[in-house]
Amino acid sequence: MEIQSNNFVSLSAIAIRNSEMQKAVSKGTRNGYDKRLAAMFAYGEEHGEAMRQQAAEAKRRALRQLPELLEMAEANMQANGIHVLWALDADEANRQVMDIIKRHEVKRVAKGKSMATEEIGLNHVLETNGIDVVETDLGEYIIQLNHEPPSHIVAPVIHKTKEEIRDIFIEKLNMPPTDDAAEMVAFARKKLRDIFLSADLGVSGGNFIIAETGTLCLVENEANGRMCTTMPRVHVAVVGIEKMVENFEDYATLTQVLPRSSTGQHMTVYTSMINGPKRPGDADGPEHVYVILLDNGRSDIYATKYAEALACIRCGACQNACPVYRSTGGHAYGWVYGGPIGAVLTPLFVGLDKAKPLPQASSLCGSCKQVCPVDIDLPRMLLDLRHDTIQQGLGDTLWNLGIKSWAWGNSSPRLFEMGGMAARLGQGVIGQNLPAPLGEWTKFRDFPSFAPKSFRQLWRERQKAQAQS
Amino acid sequence: MNSRNTILKKLRATQTPFTDVAPIEQRRNMVPLAETTPDALTQRFIAEAEKIGCRVYAAEDAAAAFERVFALLNGDKQISAWDDAFLPMPEFSETLKTAGIEITASDNGQVRLGITGIDAGLASTGSLIFSSGHGKYRTVSLLPTVYVAIMTTNQIVADFETWVALQKERGLDQFRQSSNTVIISGPSKTADIAQELILGAHGPKEVHIILLP
Amino acid sequence: MVLPERESPVGKKVSFFVTCIMDMIYPDTGMSVVEILEYLGVVVDFPETQTCCGQPGFNSGYRDEAKQVATQFLRAFKDAEVIVTASGSCGAMVRHEYPALFADDPQWSAAANRAAAITWDLTEFIVDGLGITDLKLRLPQPKTFAFHDACHGLRLLKLGGAARTLVNHIENATVMELKDCDVCCGFGGLFSVKMAEVSNAMLTKKIEQINACPAETIITGDVSCLTQMNGGLSRQKSAKRVVHVADVLAEGLKGKRDGDSIK
Repeated sequence: MEIQSNNFVSLSAIAIRNSEMQKAVSKGTRNGYDKRLAAMFAYGEEHGEAMRQQAAEAKRRALRQLPELLEMAEANMQANGIHVLWALDADEANRQVMDIIKRHEVKRVAKGKSMATEEIGLNHVLETNGIDVVETDLGEYIIQLNHEPPSHIVAPVIHKTKEEIRDIFIEKLNMPPTDDAAEMVAFARKKLRDIFLSADLGVSGGNFIIAETGTLCLVENEANGRMCTTMPRVHVAVVGIEKMVENFEDYATLTQVLPRSSTGQHMTVYTSMINGPKRPGDADGPEHVYVILLDNGRSDIYATKYAEALACIRCGACQNACPVYRSTGGHAYGWVYGGPIGAVLTPLFVGLDKAKPLPQASSLCGSCKQVCPVDIDLPRMLLDLRHDTIQQGLGDTLWNLGIKSWAWGNSSPRLFEMGGMAARLGQGVIGQNLPAPLGEWTKFRDFPSFAPKSFRQLWRERQKAQAQS
Repeated sequence: MNSRNTILKKLRATQTPFTDVAPIEQRRNMVPLAETTPDALTQRFIAEAEKIGCRVYAAEDAAAAFERVFALLNGDKQISAWDDAFLPMPEFSETLKTAGIEITASDNGQVRLGITGIDAGLASTGSLIFSSGHGKYRTVSLLPTVYVAIMTTNQIVADFETWVALQKERGLDQFRQSSNTVIISGPSKTADIAQELILGAHGPKEVHIILLP
Repeated sequence: MVLPERESPVGKKVSFFVTCIMDMIYPDTGMSVVEILEYLGVVVDFPETQTCCGQPGFNSGYRDEAKQVATQFLRAFKDAEVIVTASGSCGAMVRHEYPALFADDPQWSAAANRAAAITWDLTEFIVDGLGITDLKLRLPQPKTFAFHDACHGLRLLKLGGAARTLVNHIENATVMELKDCDVCCGFGGLFSVKMAEVSNAMLTKKIEQINACPAETIITGDVSCLTQMNGGLSRQKSAKRVVHVADVLAEGLKGKRDGDSIK
């Protein structure tokens, strides 16, 4: 997918003016936010917070032992009958999927929701190679029809209203016109049931891999994930190397904290634990299961102060909570991941120079950290990325100068006071509108007047008066 | 060097992160349950299952359970179901056959109703959990629009954590022998269209639980 | 990140950190802070060599420049026993960021850690530090209020409750709920300039909630957020305004009946 992240400012300006999208995103994020709150703290704030810390510790402990857990998971998955492949980058992962497709003479692919495959652009590669690939999560199906990327980690079509979705179904699939969401779902169900029954390959992502058992774990609500991993002859899961979980107990914590944070469910409708292909004598299930362990930049991130970003379990809670995301939606971020986690992951995956505005796209309000089920310090990482921006010489020249003079003016009380007086005088001359680059501020807001006397002047006068009396 | 070794080597070349993260002293279960007597767990299981959209029927005995099954069949002459060995009702297939009902493995997706047993019920979330295997077909709980689980109250455990602990006691090999284990919590659903909750996205639209003593 | 532990400030002299914006734009609010502290019998001192905490530079990634400014803060407050400020984000800069910012600086590290460990926000200083929840205040006229929780104070300093506690106890003050009171107003320092459109979209939502709120006046504890919200309210011709909690407390001094005393 083409990286558009450097256009965040203009993309967000467009998004803010898209009233349909505003309506949809605002409704969707609030819904997610409220439901998470109710579910995480259903047994009191103290307990919810303790569970969040328990999940946070499980993920960090797993990352600490990542190479060992990967080896353990590989050995256990192989013992379970899973073919394990390793992919250093997107090209290699896509090639591996294509090899599997050729080996098993696959014509049609049914795909479950997966951010990792978005990341590597798998659909595009498959389509280019003449393979029929169909997204089967309802939201993903809709945006695939409309040739759009997902705009939210768990609710890919959060940016569209019911009416817009209706029109896509009518336009692309000749759906008999209806305004009833249930009828739209029934229509899609019928279309996609044919895909499930005719696909030769199911592709999924993976939410967790339990290293001690070699188990691939998936959560979902629609049953399309179960379909993709049950009906076709072959199942391929593309899973980031950071998805390792040390043991079954950690998994029990994480697979419950995830849906509570994500959709506010206590469990997703289907929580699947896959231990390999169908066993001798089994009537159903795939004959072959492949797990592609995807690096694609993760081992680079692992070696930096941003390793914590690898703890992300892709719940979308930070997107629902973020007032920036709520205003811009996910597409403005210009790549696969939007919202606070996207503002961190995108520069780490694609390079800061290709995603310069994203670390700036935050008021640092801290909601993202507050709701994160594994307590990732996203504001901290945004601050560090801003620092990296300056260190790497990617700072804007005007700002570089501005901050230098600000620092100079604030390094001495005399200069500080003179600056204050100058500001007061300046305001008298040019009026309430701030000069560039601060002028952007007064485009939308009135700037207050500087006080005729500063606090320190008032203080001095008061001290003098007190001394006299 | 192959990618596997490159990745592992890269991960090992760096300073190990999170060495200072303190271990959790007292692990907690996601749902704190005040009462864990069998009766309390059964009541909780029923309440939670109903909250997530399941219909739960307490059946006094096998006869009552059969009555419920026939009512749910609503005249259908063909269903899909697990093998008798995995259903908590005596002579299940024989009884249905006598009533003129054919049992198929539901791999064509044409059958309206599927019946399975379960391995365990989770009281804390009203969930059903079971592994796949010979006679425990995966599609039965997946393809039909109406899904019926038949279980006994002694299959109810407190929560997923408890079930995990039981697997560990039994040895994880048994868990790993099944290609697939699934926790089902209510009917298939989607909220992808403007957060409107619609049941029966791709899987069953209805989940019925027949609970035997 | 865990905030540094603080010793009890009871009986200690307070050095007031007014912050740059309050100094130049809201000096009267600064005076309100002083009045309240002196009303409590606290000895207040104002180190006149103070400038800014360094937050604008720090938050935009200019750490060298931020340190340059922050060292001026450390110089100005080097003799302070207790530092009290009345702007959540500036307090958070000192409490939350200084220790790490100076961690590798042998010259300033100790001073930075100390500053972080003696700095209080006004309301938490009164409630948590001095242990006072009822200031025995009374407004001259009945008024209705609602709170906007400024983000840094709420999430980094874990304030939240203290200001509400104090205002709740003021006679003639009625506290109501502002919907989404914990959602950011869109200020975010230079974010409001660099991402003005997004900042304004956030502000617009905040103003909708303020306008819909039955309370006459919105209280907050951060002058920069206050500037953002009032700037938007003024531009959008709303009659509603946001005031600083210190000014509400100081107003409560005016309506006090003789004989009401904190002592």
